[in-house]
Amino acid sequence: MNNTYELPLDEAGYAFGFMDEYAKKEVRRAILKAICIPGYQTPYASREMPMGRGFGTGGLQLTLSLVGGNDTLKVIDQGSDDSVNAVNLRQFVQMTCPGVDVTEKTEDATLIQSRHRIPEKLLTEAQILVLQVPYPDALVVVEPSEARRKTMHGEADYSRLLVKLYEDIVKFDEITISHRYPTRIHGHYIIDPSPIPRWDVPKLHQSKALILLGAGREKKIYAVPPYTLAEPLAFEDVVFSVEDFRDAAGIRRTCSRCGTADSFLDEFSNEAGEKTYQCSDSAYCDEQLAHQTVHAQTTNTEVAA
Amino acid sequence: MNASDMTFLNVWQAHTQQRLFRRLLDAFAYPGRLLDAADSGTNARLAILATLLDAEVSLADPHALVTHEDWIRLMAAAAAPGEARFVVADAARAPDFTPALGSLESPEFGTTLLLEVQQLGTGTPLLLTGPGIASQNRLAVQGLHPAWIAQRADWVSAYPLGVDIILCDATHFAGLPRTTQIIREAL
Repeated sequence: MNNTYELPLDEAGYAFGFMDEYAKKEVRRAILKAICIPGYQTPYASREMPMGRGFGTGGLQLTLSLVGGNDTLKVIDQGSDDSVNAVNLRQFVQMTCPGVDVTEKTEDATLIQSRHRIPEKLLTEAQILVLQVPYPDALVVVEPSEARRKTMHGEADYSRLLVKLYEDIVKFDEITISHRYPTRIHGHYIIDPSPIPRWDVPKLHQSKALILLGAGREKKIYAVPPYTLAEPLAFEDVVFSVEDFRDAAGIRRTCSRCGTADSFLDEFSNEAGEKTYQCSDSAYCDEQLAHQTVHAQTTNTEVAA
Repeated sequence: MNASDMTFLNVWQAHTQQRLFRRLLDAFAYPGRLLDAADSGTNARLAILATLLDAEVSLADPHALVTHEDWIRLMAAAAAPGEARFVVADAARAPDFTPALGSLESPEFGTTLLLEVQQLGTGTPLLLTGPGIASQNRLAVQGLHPAWIAQRADWVSAYPLGVDIILCDATHFAGLPRTTQIIREAL
């Protein structure tokens, strides 16, 4: 009998990280191969999670395999820390990983799990970004057979994907992909970078932080390692561009809450039925607001003096 | 049970393996970065094997570096060096096998090769470039038979096929994924 073994009985009655150690090891081995072959969709045995597939189980399994007692976790959904998906995932990790800190501040996090956005603030080498992926394979729109797609990926044969983009240009005079923009990693594999807007695609290129992508339903893990080439697909004469937030007069729209003009904006309708715009990254918006308050206070003090 | 047994058991526990895994993650994400395994209560070689292996994978040990007791604890199936998912070898000896390189459709079946060298941080400098390295990284290695570098260049020449190497000494380790380009500098 092993006298030093203690039953993993925390308050919730789960082992640290919910998943058993063999499941974590399997995910960890897949993560390492995903880093060694940038952009390659490494298959893994996606486990049952206590939530439906499609609710971020791929990202969650990555997070649970990575997280340890000295991590600080941030979870966001469409840029917000307070949306249902983010709150649920954060609470689940808090319940099953005692000792892990949580934060809303991007700069304080060591581990960030995100759905559909990359934070506005530049990430560092001390951080890991985990993205939840619904559809991992960029080739699925042109080839239904996974066996054939695997061969095409291996040979870096993406001619049919380029034809698809060309057809877009012929029909609409521009590439109409708004999110999940096909991006070539390390000059070989083309990935579906998850439904991040085009605005976030340049952040994959030469990122200081490791970026891991997990698709639970499709059982795939892939990675964009730090300091790695990430090129959105484009043509010589039709270059890639991010979302344009200028109004009809050519003036950059600003966030109606914090006034910043350098963030990705969500469009809302106010009570009068007019369109208004607000930062999608709620932590970034809060920080801009806090800066203004401090600045306003300093100015007031100066006036009073 | 005495204190030395307790520290030895450390490496088989989940929280130690989580910490070690995060460093292995850094090793492959930032190739050539020197990482510490001294707090695992055992040598870096066993710490890495304990973190990565279980009954689902195979291990080859052509130079008999792993003790009988550790083989049992690792639970990995024994396999020939040309077929195993993981190979552990003495870096001072020239390679006398070709590891599995994976296939075009499934390059993840390329072997993870754990090479034990005399010392990392001193010796022949290797100049590294590739993903995970901002411009250039330098890793000094003592006790790596030059044939490994030449053979590796051959093994990784048909990307995405290849092998991913972890170099370790008694306490430290560093990663060399198949995407890293190595230039051996003259001393």
